[in-house]
Parts: sequence; structure tokens; C-alpha cells
Amino acid sequence: MSGRRVAIVGGATIPFGIRSATWAELAQEVGAALFRAVPSLRPEEVDSLFVGAAEPERFAFQSHVAPFAAEQMGIRPTRILQRTELACASGQSAIRSAYAAIAAGLSDIAVAVGVEKMNLPSMAEANSAMACVMDRAWDGPAGATAPPFFAMVAQRHMLEHGTTEEQLAAVSEKNHRFANSNPTAQFHAKTFARDRLLRLPMIAPPLRLGDCSSMTDGAAAVVLVSEEAVRRFPDPAAWIRGTGQYSDFHNLANAGSLTEWPGLTHAAREALRGAGISVHDLDLAELHDCFTISEIVEYEALGLCGPGEGGRFAADGRGDLGGDLAVNPRGGLLGCGHPLGATGIAQAVEVFQQFAGKVPAVRQVPDPEWALVHNLSGSANVHSVMVYQRGGAA
Amino acid sequence: MSDPPRPAVLRRGAETLPPTPAAPPAEERPRTAKPFLLDFFPLQTEKDSRLARFFARLAEGRLSTTRCPSDGRLMWPPRTVCPVCHREELEWVDLPGDGTIYAFSAVLAGAPLGMEADVPFAVGLVDLAGAPLRLFGRIEGRPWSDLKIGGRVRVEPYALDDGRWFYRFRAVD
Repeated sequence: MSGRRVAIVGGATIPFGIRSATWAELAQEVGAALFRAVPSLRPEEVDSLFVGAAEPERFAFQSHVAPFAAEQMGIRPTRILQRTELACASGQSAIRSAYAAIAAGLSDIAVAVGVEKMNLPSMAEANSAMACVMDRAWDGPAGATAPPFFAMVAQRHMLEHGTTEEQLAAVSEKNHRFANSNPTAQFHAKTFARDRLLRLPMIAPPLRLGDCSSMTDGAAAVVLVSEEAVRRFPDPAAWIRGTGQYSDFHNLANAGSLTEWPGLTHAAREALRGAGISVHDLDLAELHDCFTISEIVEYEALGLCGPGEGGRFAADGRGDLGGDLAVNPRGGLLGCGHPLGATGIAQAVEVFQQFAGKVPAVRQVPDPEWALVHNLSGSANVHSVMVYQRGGAA
Repeated sequence: MSDPPRPAVLRRGAETLPPTPAAPPAEERPRTAKPFLLDFFPLQTEKDSRLARFFARLAEGRLSTTRCPSDGRLMWPPRTVCPVCHREELEWVDLPGDGTIYAFSAVLAGAPLGMEADVPFAVGLVDLAGAPLRLFGRIEGRPWSDLKIGGRVRVEPYALDDGRWFYRFRAVD
């Protein structure tokens, strides 16, 4: 890590779900929520805006969304304005880009916002948008979307390691339980007991409805500042201490093993090395549980357990609050829903609020200092990781 | 339904295949009238793509791909430039017509536009027999719940109603 130090000093997430609101209205709402949550920030101080949006052309028929979002949010960037697109990791890409700009001295105060509107009058159109994340000409005609791909990951994991549907359900039960305490979650205040999860309909066998994150409308935003400006903001800062990213294929034919994600191992090693810590020093992790099987493979790729042991790790509660590492206390993508561009930002908001001790007690990690955020994108062909450290309160 | 023509089997290290007949002129191959941006099937005339030959061969019952003459590397999908040495003169080779299922699932809900009527449909990754390639595609011929990992499938080129071609797999045991 070189350049100026950079921290998140505030953020906000608006309610996720099937929202009676357009893309523009979601952007306006998150702008208002951000400036309410960070009263010491004036809109005219924001010199740069990074907009994480995966498919506004598809979901909202709107391109050139960076200035569009700026106008909705009441921000007039004077230094850097851009959209970041990395499918399901578009939000983390916005944060990473803002971090790079500030570290390089090209920005002092930046906002990273993620907005996605996914629920359309025709959900077949929305599903087509999800399918063109894959190699549209070669995998698309077969009907490749995320559920059948991750279902094959689950099928192979069950075959190679004996992972069970009950172990998958353990991930879903945990993350939905956390989401019950998160008023911005799509599945807020709903109960998903394990036995009920195992009776939900199949979406892509062996994955059932409760194994899959949702098509979600939502937005979230964070403020990033240089080390010189951090002291102006009263809450403990979430310092960015490490980042890592890895991409190794795109067409499904080139996926190699479905059950090992060495790209995540590589990206996490890079991010943890930047922070000078090991995975065992982490106090919480926001992992990309787009499907239950994803979180299980991620436990293994991060080295929280051995290869093939992720299902048992989940069933034994080792990824729960009070276990080895609190994973997805926000409620995860399973519980909160997955508005593509907003997810990575909402995860960072959770880290910031966890550091500040501002989440409900039932999901508050005791006195956290280190947090890791992970997003995969597409068919788990890209992995993006960031490591945060809590700063001292002003 | 009669069996589709069987593609020639690739022999590793084989010499360059005989020259491929040129694809029919673009005007003889109808362009799609559908909105392209809501349709996953690729445009496939020489006017549209330098890979038009793939589809012309598919219409002859041959699944093929490109190979780099420098190191014999097979690519999927077929390409115009080798991703390793960036050579632009690649050769076409036929692929095996048989394979086994490495993994599969089915779309029981949430199909893309134009595929809603196909639900439920099976998809899977198939290891081609004798070639180091694992291709993704639809698997027809059996309900998804009757498929098995290791089950045998055959490559099946098929025509769209607008004259374009694509491939899928058909379970054979």
C-alpha cells in the first residue's frame, strides 16, 4: 500500500427490496440518506463521484449514469466523475476507484454510490440482463444465468465433499436471521427456519429458493476522504488497509474446478498482506453469499477451514456471531437482497457501522478492529477483496 | 428424429485439416429480423463475424473451434487471435461429437426472455471425449432429474427458425 491513507468516514443504505421507485428516485433517496447520515459533509465539498451500476442500460434503459446520478444526488463533481461496472462487484469497484484516486492525490473527498433497479414489469427481461453477464454469444443461448451455474458448483461440492442441503440451509438460516435485525434488508423481519428452507421450491437443482439471493432494487453510498480530512468526521473511520483482485476466466468452458476458487485465495492474500494481518486476525467478514454454496466455498478459499470442509464449518456455526469469524452480520446478499451495484457499498456501510458500534445488539460484533469485504462477480470468475481497520474515535 | 451427422473426431497433434469450404455468401444467409440486443444467439454471416465459418461448419453437422498452429492449443470459444501468443492466423479443427456430463442443473424458474416456454430445461458442462475442452450447453433428451454426472451426451447442431445455427447436447444413455 502506497500513497495517501484513505478512510470511509460515513455512509448510508436505503431500504432494499421490490421498490416502487425508479433508478433516478433510488439515487435521489440515497443522496438524501447520505447527507443526513454524515451531517458534517456539505455537498459542495465532494470533489469526485464514483457510481457503481452494473446494468442501468438493461434495467433502466439509462446510460451515462455518472452525471445522471450526480444530478439526482445534488453533487457537482469537479475532479473525477465516473461509473464503475464489474457486474456483481460494481459497488466495490466504485470504492476501490475512489480509494485509488484519493491515495494518488487526485481527489480529497469522494463519494462512492451504488444504485441498481432490477425489478421490471417483465422479469424475463431482467433475467436476460442477468444472462448477458455471462459470455452472451456462447453461454447465453443455452440459458446461462447465475442460478444454474452456482447450482453446478453446489452439485460438484456435494459430489466431491459430501456437502448436504442441510449445510446449505445453515448458511441461509444464519444470514436471514441477521437480516431480521436490518431494517434495510429485503427480507427484514421474516423467519427462515432450516426446515422451512428445505421445503422451498427448487430454482436450479440442488439450489432452492432460500439458497438464492434476489432480484433487488436498492442503493447505498459512502464518503471516502484523505488522511488530512479524516479528523473532521466524528465517528471512527474505516481505514482501507488492503485491496486485492483476481480474474482468471470468463467463458464457462474455462472455469476449471468449480469447487475451488483460487482467485479468491489470491485476492484475499494480497489484501491481507497489504494490511499486514492474517485471516485469523479478522473480526468480521462481509462475504459474497449470492448463493449459499458461495459462502461455503469462500470459507475454504479464505483458509477459514480446509478444502471441502465449508459445509461442516457452516453447520457448526463457525461463521456465526460467537464462532470463529462473524460472517455477513448485515444479513448477506441472501437476507438483504442483491442490487448488483449497491451490494459492495452496503457491505462497506455495515463495516463502518459495526466499527462505530451502531448496529442492533443482536448482530453487533464485539469491539471489532479488522473487517474483510469480498465480492465475486459473474460466474465467480472475478474476486475483489478489501480489508478495513477501525480508527480511533475523534 | 434421425441422428444428426457425426462430427469427425479430433486427433491430438493432427495436421491442419483440409481447407474448409467457404461459408455461403452473406446474402444467402438470412439476417435475423429479431431485435439483436434481446437475442442471445450470435449473428453468424461473414458480414457479421470473422467466425462465420464456425456456423457454416455447424450447419454441416460439424462442431469445430480454432487452434493455434504455434503450440497446438485448442480454444473455446473459437477466436480470431490466440490469447497466448497473439497470433492471428488460426486454424479450424473439428471437435469430437461425444462427451460426458461433468456437472448439470436445470432452469426451473427465472428464464431469460424468449426462453420462458422452454422451462424446465437442463444445462450442463460436458467434457468432450478426447479433447481437453469442457463446454457449457443445453442438454436435451431426458428430464433433468434423469441426468447423471458421467452420463453420455452427443453434440447436436440445430437450426433456428431464422436460418441461424447453434449447438446443444442430447443425452444418449
